[in-house]
Parts: sequence; C-alpha cells; structure tokens
Amino acid sequence: MTGLALPAIVLMVVVNAYPVIYAGIQAVHDGDLLGLGNFVGFANFQDALTDPLFWRSARFTVIFSLCGVFGSWIIGFALALMLKPDFAGKNLFKILLLLPWIVPIVVSSMSWNWLTATPGSLLPMLAADLGFGRVMFLADPTMAMITVCIFKIWISYPFMMMMMSAALEGIEPNINEAARVDGANARQRLRYIVLPMTARSTYISWILMAMFSVNDFATIYLLTGGGPVNSTTSLIVLAYRSVFQDFRPGFGVAISFLMTAALVTMSVILLRQMRKANMQ
Amino acid sequence: MNDTTASRLKMTRRGFLGTSAAAAAAATFGQPAAFAAEEIKFWDMVWGTGAGYTAAAKELVGGYQPAGDNLGVRYQSVPWANWYQTFTSAAASRTTPAVSSGAAFLPFYFIEKGVIAPADDLIASIDKAGTNDFLPGVLEAMKTDLGYAAMPWSMDLRVVWVRKSLLEKAGVEAPTDWQSFIKVGEALKKIDVVGLGLAGGSTTTDGQHTVSALLINNGGGLFAKDGTLDCVNDRNIETLDFLNELVRKGIIDPYAASYTSDNVTRDWLSGRIGMGFGQTGLDKNFPTEQQSDLAVISPIKSPRGDTGTVYYINPLMMFKTTASQASSEAFLGWYLDNMKVFWEKGVATDVPVRKSIADLPILKQNANLQKSIAEWQPIGKTIGAQAPHPFGALNAVDGGGAGAAFIQQIIEGKTGSKQILETLQAALEKIVK
Amino acid sequence: MSTTATRPRKLALDPRRAGMGRTLATAIVTLVMLGPILVVFWLALRPRLYTDITGPTLETFVYIFAETDILLWLKNSAMVSTLATIISVIVAAPAGYVLSRGRGGAVSAYSLFIFVLQSFPVVVFVIPLFIMFASVGLVDSLSGVAIIYVASSVAVACWMMSAYFDTIPVTLEEAAWIDGCSVFGGFVRIVLRNSLPGVLSTAIYAFLLAWNDYLVALVFLRSDDRFTLPIGLQTFFQQNQTDWGPVMACAVVMLTPPVLIFALLNRFFSIGGIGGALAGK
Repeated sequence: MTGLALPAIVLMVVVNAYPVIYAGIQAVHDGDLLGLGNFVGFANFQDALTDPLFWRSARFTVIFSLCGVFGSWIIGFALALMLKPDFAGKNLFKILLLLPWIVPIVVSSMSWNWLTATPGSLLPMLAADLGFGRVMFLADPTMAMITVCIFKIWISYPFMMMMMSAALEGIEPNINEAARVDGANARQRLRYIVLPMTARSTYISWILMAMFSVNDFATIYLLTGGGPVNSTTSLIVLAYRSVFQDFRPGFGVAISFLMTAALVTMSVILLRQMRKANMQ
Repeated sequence: MNDTTASRLKMTRRGFLGTSAAAAAAATFGQPAAFAAEEIKFWDMVWGTGAGYTAAAKELVGGYQPAGDNLGVRYQSVPWANWYQTFTSAAASRTTPAVSSGAAFLPFYFIEKGVIAPADDLIASIDKAGTNDFLPGVLEAMKTDLGYAAMPWSMDLRVVWVRKSLLEKAGVEAPTDWQSFIKVGEALKKIDVVGLGLAGGSTTTDGQHTVSALLINNGGGLFAKDGTLDCVNDRNIETLDFLNELVRKGIIDPYAASYTSDNVTRDWLSGRIGMGFGQTGLDKNFPTEQQSDLAVISPIKSPRGDTGTVYYINPLMMFKTTASQASSEAFLGWYLDNMKVFWEKGVATDVPVRKSIADLPILKQNANLQKSIAEWQPIGKTIGAQAPHPFGALNAVDGGGAGAAFIQQIIEGKTGSKQILETLQAALEKIVK
Repeated sequence: MSTTATRPRKLALDPRRAGMGRTLATAIVTLVMLGPILVVFWLALRPRLYTDITGPTLETFVYIFAETDILLWLKNSAMVSTLATIISVIVAAPAGYVLSRGRGGAVSAYSLFIFVLQSFPVVVFVIPLFIMFASVGLVDSLSGVAIIYVASSVAVACWMMSAYFDTIPVTLEEAAWIDGCSVFGGFVRIVLRNSLPGVLSTAIYAFLLAWNDYLVALVFLRSDDRFTLPIGLQTFFQQNQTDWGPVMACAVVMLTPPVLIFALLNRFFSIGGIGGALAGK
C-alpha cells in the first residue's frame, strides 16, 4: 500500500533534492550567485547568529507569525460562528468573505498601498478626521509593523474561517441544543462545548498558519519591502535580500536553514503534545 | 554554432561553479538548451514611459534586417520587478539572451564574472565608420580593466525640478545653493507643499538617487578615490546634516520613508511636491498642458561651493551565450544608430548619450533637457564617486537593503548623521568585499 | 424536536427577525472586510492616465482587451493552473490515502518528510531550481512552471485528501478486498469514488496557488507568448509610475475565474480536518 505514496515522494525528491543540496553547499561557502567561492565551514551561520539584524528580523518574524496565527484565527472563528446558522444570503456572504484569500497578493498589496501610503490616502485622512492626528501607516516603523500584521490577518482569515466552519459542522447539533435547554448561555456553550470540540482543528490550523506565516515573503515584501529601517524585515525577507540583492547566497541560505530548523522543531513538539493529549 | 560551443567550453574550463563534486554536477546540469540558430534574443527593460516605450522598441527591432550571414533578432520585454533575480538566474544557468539592456551596474558585475563579452570590437568598428559621436566621458565610464563592459544608450541623470506655479504661489525664486534651498523649502512648507520630494520606500531606489546626488553635490560620495568604501567623511556628514535640517523643518515629507516611485510621481502630479530631484524626463509623466509648469533649475551650490549630481548610464550588454557574437555586434551597432526614434516619439525619459540624438530638433526645443545636458551632465558622477570608474560591487549597493535603510533613517531624522553613515559603512562592508 | 414545543410562543417569530438581524450584521462585517477589494473595483472603473474621460468608465476594460495580450495571458494562466491542479490531485490522492490508512514508522517518517519539505522557503532556492530546470529545457515553459506549482502544493494537498479519506469508513474497502479487489482497486473504486468533495477541495487549493503565483512565474517565464496573468500585470508597471486603471481591470479579470469556481463548488469545499495525518491518530 505504501507504494501509492511513491508518485508524491518521487516528485518532491526530484524537485527539491537538487536545490536543497545545492543550497546546503552554498551555506558553507562564501560565493556569489554565479560561483560557489571558498569553503568557509559554518562561518555563514556564525555571521547570521551574531548579526543584530538577524535577531531583529527573528523578533519580527515571531510577532508577524503570532498575529498571523491568532489574529486570523479569532476573526476566522468569529465569522465561522456567525455563518453557522441559516439565514438569508448566508452562502453569498460565505463566498464574499473568502475574497481576500482569492485576490492575488500583487493586487491586494497595491490596494492597501493606495489606502495607506500618502497623507492624501483614505485611511490617513480618516484618522486625521477622527482626531488621531498624523498617522503614518507605512512610514513609521511601529505603525508599519502593525499595518503589515493587519494586512496578514486580512489575507489569512478566510483560511481560518474555512477550517473552523468545517470543524463546526462536525459538532452534533443535539449537543449544543441540549446544553441550551439545560440553561447554558452562549458564552458557556462556547467555552465548554464548541472550543473543546473544535480543538483539534484549531491546533492543526495554528500549526499550518505558523508555517505559512514564517515562510510568507510576498505579503511583507510587496507592502513594505521590509522597511522602514528594517522594522518589517522578517527572516524570509532578510534571506531573500541577502541572496538576490546583496549577492550573499551563503548567508541568505544559512538564514533560511536556521529558520526551517526552528519551524520544524517547534511544529514537531506541538504535534507531539497534541498526540499526547490524544485530542480528537 | 561554433561560437556557442567554444564559449561553453571556456565557461566549463574556467571552473564556473567551483570545484566540488556537486558543483561539477551542477555544471553538467547547466548546459544551455540548444539555441534556434535563426535568430538571437534581445531583452529590453521597460524603460521610459512604459507601455509606449515597449511598443516603440518592439516596432524598431521588428524592422531590423540583418546583413549577410548575421542572424535576425527577437525582441523580449523584461519587467523591472525583481530584475536581479531574472538576470542572475539566467546567468547562473547560462540562459541569458544575446543582447540585453539592464540596470546601470549589472554589466560591471557580469564582466567581472566572465558572463558578458566586452564591447571593444564594436567600439572600434564605430570609430572606424567615423560615427562615434558619444557625448564626452560616456564611453569612458563603461571602461574596465577587462574592456568596455557595455554600450551606453541613455543616461538617467538626476536634476532639480521645480513647479513654477507653486514657487510663485509661495512667493519665492528658485534656489541657487543649499541655504536658499532651505528658504524656498520653508516657504513651500507654509503653503503645504513638499520642498524635497523623494521616494524612500524599500522597493525603489529613488530616494537613494536623491541622497547620492546631494552627497556628490558636496564633493562626497560613498567611495574613496581608490575605490574603497568611505561613507563616514566630513563632506558626507555635512550633507546628512543638511538633509536632517530639511527633515526637521518639514521640507522632506515624513511619509516619504515608505513611498514607492508611483507614490512620489502622484504627489508631483497632484501638486503636493513643489521641488525635488528627478529624471530629465520627469515632465513626461504629466499631462501635456501641465508640462510647461515644470522647470529644471541650474545646479545648486553646497556651502563649500561645490556642485554635482548623480547619473546612471543605461547599458546595452552582449552576453557570451549568443549564437553568434558577430550577429550580436551587428545588431547592437544598428540599434544604437536607430534608437533616436525613442526621443522622436517622446517615449524616452532619459538623456541621450549621442550628439546626433541630442541635436534632434525636437530635443533642441526642449529647454529643460538642453539645460540638463549643458549644466548638469558635466558635473555628474556615478554612485561609485569618488572612485575613477564603476565596478561590479556597485550592483549590490544600488538597490540593496542597506541603501534603503540608510535613506529611511535619514527621513526618520532621529539618528545623528555620523551614526547613520557608520551604520551604512558597516552594512556595505559585508557586501563590498 | 420536542424542545421547540416548550418554548414560549413569542419565540416563534424570533428566528426570522434574528435571521434578518444576522443578515444585516454579516453584511456590515463583509463590507468592512471587503474594503480593500472595493478599492480594486473602484480603481478599475477610473479612466486611464492621459485620457479626457472623467467619472467612472469601462474604458479600461475595453483597453485591456483591445490593446493588450490579456486573452493570451488568461489562456496561459488557465492552462498552467489546470495542469498543476490535475497533477496535484493525481499525485496527492494516493499519497493521502497512505497517510490516512497507513500506520507505523514508515508512514510517520513520510509525514515528517512532507512537513519538512513544505517548510523550506521556495523563494530562496529559486536559483538552483532554475539551473536544474534549465538543464532539462523546462525554463520558459508552462509545464516547467506547473511542475513547481505541484511541488509547492502537494504537501497540503496530501493532508487535505487524507483528512477527507479519514471520514470514509475503512470497512468499505475491507469488504472489497475480501471480494478479491486489490489495494489499488479498492482505493480507486471504493474510496476515491466517494471522495468527490475531498478531491474538489484539494483541486481548488492547488488551482488557487497556481493561479495567484507571481514569484515563480516571474523568474521562469521569459517570453511574451508564455506570460501568465500576474506577469502580464507587470507590463503596466512603468519605471516611475503605474497606470492603475488597466492593472486593476486586469485584477478584476484575474479574480473572476476563482470567484466563479468558488460560487459553483462552494458546497463541496472544505479544508477542515486537514492533517489528521499530520497530528497522528
């Protein structure tokens, strides 16, 4: 039976093996994009781990991913709950609410830029009218971090909404109904029935979204390019820039290996925890 | 076809990808796909006015009739987005075209890596034909120890533009030096107009061009005369102090730290920006009836009495992956002789580098362009200033993350000039080896 | 339901009123969420630069269809995405079956292997990938790009298929095996035949990933006649400014097929329960 998995394995090995091995070789050399250069051992890894920008980027990667995971989960879950009962237009809203996920990111990043970039854009004007003064959504380092995180949540919530909708379908209506009859209010039903019964989907969706977020290059790069002053530079953006703009592929690839190692370790631990808890 | 085989062998012999076993495997993998012998490829960036330029270039190349045994040419437009990725992956896999335009410093990087053929023979044949009318210094700027890295076809020269109506409204005359620049900026600020428009976002180099122009204006630059990094010097500190004053007085817009080139162009169009550095074809972005409101002013003097600006020479390079070097040269020679249509049609936004084009009647009538050529071009330098000629590492400096962070720190205005330059020096040292 | 009978009578009216309230509330939330997308439509309806038209217009749409290769890009995008989707499903379905039914060390190792590969960021490895594809003539080729899309979607596709297979009782295949059916036969005839929603969900996921990609296509596609929509979009980006009208009109064209697909297949689409294989049983 395991033979059935062969096509997928072969495909993945064929496409990934050479690039990953090549990148592994690059990681221990000091070459540029056209030549391997000299063997330097783990110097690239050492450089990365001692570079303040690496740690700054690691910090933003964590912030960005946590927002991506929990922000989109909360919104996605809330919308899934909202869309659970039958009501007029439910299916239409379900499709419309998926749009942020469907719209190509090249396009949505432009429309977000249009909404936020200049003092004459819609959101800065609105903020000024509401008495917040001059809000620089993209030009102020802290605001840029917040804007990018919100952009990420906006792009990701449909995925969470779909995951959680499916999980909610799995709850027997009788259980909820019975609890209602027994006098459980909405909050209690959420706390003691809905959350535990969707826990498995919740954890899986967190792990997947963490993986998507850490590796998310386009969302950040297209909106801020990692600026201003590197405030929204995540590890993947730093790796990309090192490889393609600074012509330091060894350094960039070393960063991506460190990143992947951390990601896999974290996920494996989480999955093991889940298995231990025997979550269903 | 012999040429291809020869160059391929040469590449392998040079140990293109190093010596380890896996790299050897890579070299075998990297064999180029067989070329169709009937035509060679010409890649061209989306220059000038964009779609209009591309249509004109396509039409021009479509009319090329190769003489004798030379091969025909196929035009391919290449978008600017992630261009470094496009070119480096093509070079690494030897799938580059025969001839290509590209970013200013790409040829210097590529010639050091042995990817492109020097243009010496082509220049010799142009000399022989007696048609060498390149403007003074332009060809020399392409020269390296390995020969001419590429042919120049136009020059992205940064000049100071003003909107006459906005200066009038603010009741000021165009500035002549840094001191009066601040005065004009303050007056513009009073009517809510930006005095130094620039785009400092991380995906554009516009802000880096402006700051480079001002560094050179003050006789500074990022490199010393021997080509080593020299970011932290008195002249550069003075320039950053000047910029910091502009920031503090609100003459530079704080929003500019995230501006894309589109954002800044739109601010020019809407009248939010009254003054700033721009390409010599900045007015081409405006509707025809507003173009006359824009004017190039004379170079401004720094407190030391120096003038200067930055320029980028747009290159046309010949890759060794061509099916026939003779065909590449024949085409490139023909192209350089016929590209005047870009200026005749008004789709080019940069300065022509040949006298025969600069003297076209339509350009002679363009006062702004003539002023740029007469007053600004002679005082221009590359971002390699004060180094005598460009080199490959500039390719990484132009448009890298270090440069973007540098500009954004300036616009933010919270860090001391010396410290900003030290940060830049440290970041560039890792890139420029 | 007996419980309904015990409710006070006035509640009988409530569901409808509550329903209307919910429709209204959802509509407001949807409107807020879709703000940035309304911007896309709004910009698409604005006239192009340097035209004399004022006010909303469909001129940009006329322009992109008359003056650009958008139909060709549309065709290329459709071909690449369809090809990637089909291969993705064909490859992921049997692999997902193994993840769903298999037990033991090999399957766990396989699961981890998929996960690790999925965790590698493609953008950083584009150059070696490009060198490899160039050596076999798959650069500047729609099939080459499709293969990369399959490789990047196959992991999640496996999990999605596996999650759906989990819902199909294993007793069905066991009965077929007793009747002399092979493992593969049982998989195709029993499991796959009952998994249309799972297959469609996986297909939609793979389709969207391929349809919206621009980073891979930008590097791998080099000729005008092979451009996909996201790359065609790039031709409107000038050095210094962008003609938003045509870009946004293209964007509207670009998001129409996925929206139609969702509208048609919405009731089949579910990515819930994904990764039963991931978490182990």
